[in-house]
Amino acid sequence: MTGRVIVITSGKGGVGKTTTSANIGTALAKEGYKVVLIDTDLGLRNLDLLLGLENRIVYTIVDVIEERCKLKQALVKDKKNPNLSLLAAAQTRDKSAVNAEQLKDICDKLKEKNDFVLIDCPAGIEQGFQNAVAGASEAIVVTTPEMSAIRDADRIIGLLEAKEEIKSYKLLLNRVRPNLIKSNDMMSVDDVVEILSCPLIGIIPEDTGIITSTNKGEPIVNDENSMAGKAYRNVAQRILGEEVPFLDLDEPKGFMAKIKNVFAKLKAKV
Amino acid sequence: MGLFSDIYNTVARFFRPQEEQGEGPSKAVAANRLKLVLMQDRTNLTPKILEQMRGELIDLLSKYLEMDKELLELNFEQEGEQVALMLSIPVIRAKDEDEIEEAIKASQTESEEIENSEEEEEEEEENNEEIEDSENSEENKETETSETDETKDEQTEEAPKPKKKRSKKVSNPEEMENHNTEEPPQEVVFETTEG
Repeated sequence: MTGRVIVITSGKGGVGKTTTSANIGTALAKEGYKVVLIDTDLGLRNLDLLLGLENRIVYTIVDVIEERCKLKQALVKDKKNPNLSLLAAAQTRDKSAVNAEQLKDICDKLKEKNDFVLIDCPAGIEQGFQNAVAGASEAIVVTTPEMSAIRDADRIIGLLEAKEEIKSYKLLLNRVRPNLIKSNDMMSVDDVVEILSCPLIGIIPEDTGIITSTNKGEPIVNDENSMAGKAYRNVAQRILGEEVPFLDLDEPKGFMAKIKNVFAKLKAKV
Repeated sequence: MGLFSDIYNTVARFFRPQEEQGEGPSKAVAANRLKLVLMQDRTNLTPKILEQMRGELIDLLSKYLEMDKELLELNFEQEGEQVALMLSIPVIRAKDEDEIEEAIKASQTESEEIENSEEEEEEEEENNEEIEDSENSEENKETETSETDETKDEQTEEAPKPKKKRSKKVSNPEEMENHNTEEPPQEVVFETTEG
């Protein structure tokens, strides 16, 4: 078996790389695929927290590289889904503890026994980014509709283009707020796609549920009612090659919103 | 009066659609600022180099055209993958052959450096205004193109090689939405309009 190695990157910090990694990984595992998540953010590991696996980590990626354990021993299985496992970052070491060659080696080994290897990339464009990208052949660039995040995403796209090994990259637009887009105070999905001229793989609405899901250590894709969860499940489907339409974020959810919507339609008719 | 207009405004605001409220949409500002800054990031064209380019373009074009340098506009436009440099200068008239010849001779003999440095200083002020104006460039562009068609004889159109092409790898075109897959070479368009 030769699995796909996908790096999840963004340039800017805090746009949702780790949340995206956790959710896409979980969603793919729920579909029955064998998935390994690698946290490459050495010294600032968080993927274990989002998956609720922080208490189970014995060995980290640095232990594997420095041969203190076997690769298989360092993989932590998810609580609910045995298809999903995590290779955690070392919390006490920095980026210099690993190099690109070593990470590529790990990815190559993991893709032999898994359908997907998802790499959670650290913020920035330095060594940590170079390491994370080394073993990947696909990339998902996470950004939000804010200027700084888009500028950094543009820089990342430029760097990814220069990499021979990266065969394709897609844009994931996170934390979209339909209300702000409606009032023309947030750049729309079309604006961002036009500016970055990069194909889109997903639009994730801002969702307060993300906070509670992080608190609980349970990815939001497990919540059937969440919009963001649904959006992430759709991303997983698109990764698998399905054609899934993008969510209509304009849909009013609350009772009052529905009434308002009725009035708006009446008004439009008049 | 004040009270009544206050009440009126409050009530009117309530009925007005959301997008008309506030001090105008900040989204357009963001998009325009971003486009400009990304252009500089992608091409390594610093404001200083742009300024220099502007000066040289004016020098070049003034050999052939008499134009209103005060109203010169230099903008980058992006449509999908393609990036165009829009230079728009109101043309007063095209010079005749003798004048052109004379200008070319003059430029050869003159010490260019002195002239350049003088002009660059003048144009620095214009450029600042321009950045503010870049919001309106969309509208301007439309009117300009229609005008240029009429004055085709007088206009100078060139398409030299792009400064730097950001080649895009495009995969799975069927998965893409709103994405322009055609990839024409980046071109630089000079537009001139009659003033």
